[in-house]
Amino acid sequence: MSAHDLAVASAAALVLAGAAGTALARSATRLVLSLGAFLLGVALCFLALGSPLLAAAQVFVYIGGVLVLVLFALMVVGRGDGESPRVESRHDPGAALVALGLFVVLAIVTPKRPSGIAPPEMVSPLAVADVLLGSGIVAFELAGVLLLAALLAVLVIVKSGGER
Amino acid sequence: MILTVACAGAFALGVYAVLVRREIIGILAGAELMLGAAAVQLLVAGSGEFAAGASSFGLILLVVAAAEAVVGLALIVTAYRRAKRSRIEEFGEVSG
Repeated sequence: MSAHDLAVASAAALVLAGAAGTALARSATRLVLSLGAFLLGVALCFLALGSPLLAAAQVFVYIGGVLVLVLFALMVVGRGDGESPRVESRHDPGAALVALGLFVVLAIVTPKRPSGIAPPEMVSPLAVADVLLGSGIVAFELAGVLLLAALLAVLVIVKSGGER
Repeated sequence: MILTVACAGAFALGVYAVLVRREIIGILAGAELMLGAAAVQLLVAGSGEFAAGASSFGLILLVVAAAEAVVGLALIVTAYRRAKRSRIEEFGEVSG
């Protein structure tokens, strides 16, 4: 097993452990920590798949931004008695069956990258910029419009919430 | 191979979290799991000839997921400030 295969396996294990913790944790603090581990695992997967730009964006946007926002929301929603808020679940065999079936189907039908082959070449930010400002310009502009719409939506939501 | 199985597992766990969680923040975390797993699988499928295109599309997916998370968290905080409720079954009605 090469060093690259070992790194991929470690990143995959971190993704799975973080996802399991996020889905099953009962304490909000553990949920956030597990979500952080999952997001870090995703960033490591991006790096192992040859996309350092995406890995850096994942760390800055998610671990540095969204995770802090989730913590902030938990502090606002928390009970304020010093205990970590509980995140309750209604565990259901039907839901477990749906998730298990989905896992089996996805594991079978999605394209796979065989292990043991040479690590992929790193995709430079210049190549990504070429695609985004070339054939992907419409998607790039739409992403900008979506961000602006999200910003306006948050302003409207927060303003309407404070009027009562 | 191992990444695809891990992504499928993370996506299924995200679906499970969305189905069984009662707190809205847990449901939002489940949605994040699904989006993260989809982004990694996108790169797995596009590795090789389409690596630059897959990375570009992954970046746009990251933007979509970030926008979804920010709007979702704003809704959670506003709903809690208005009604002191954070469980999904307590929101029986939606008003504009």
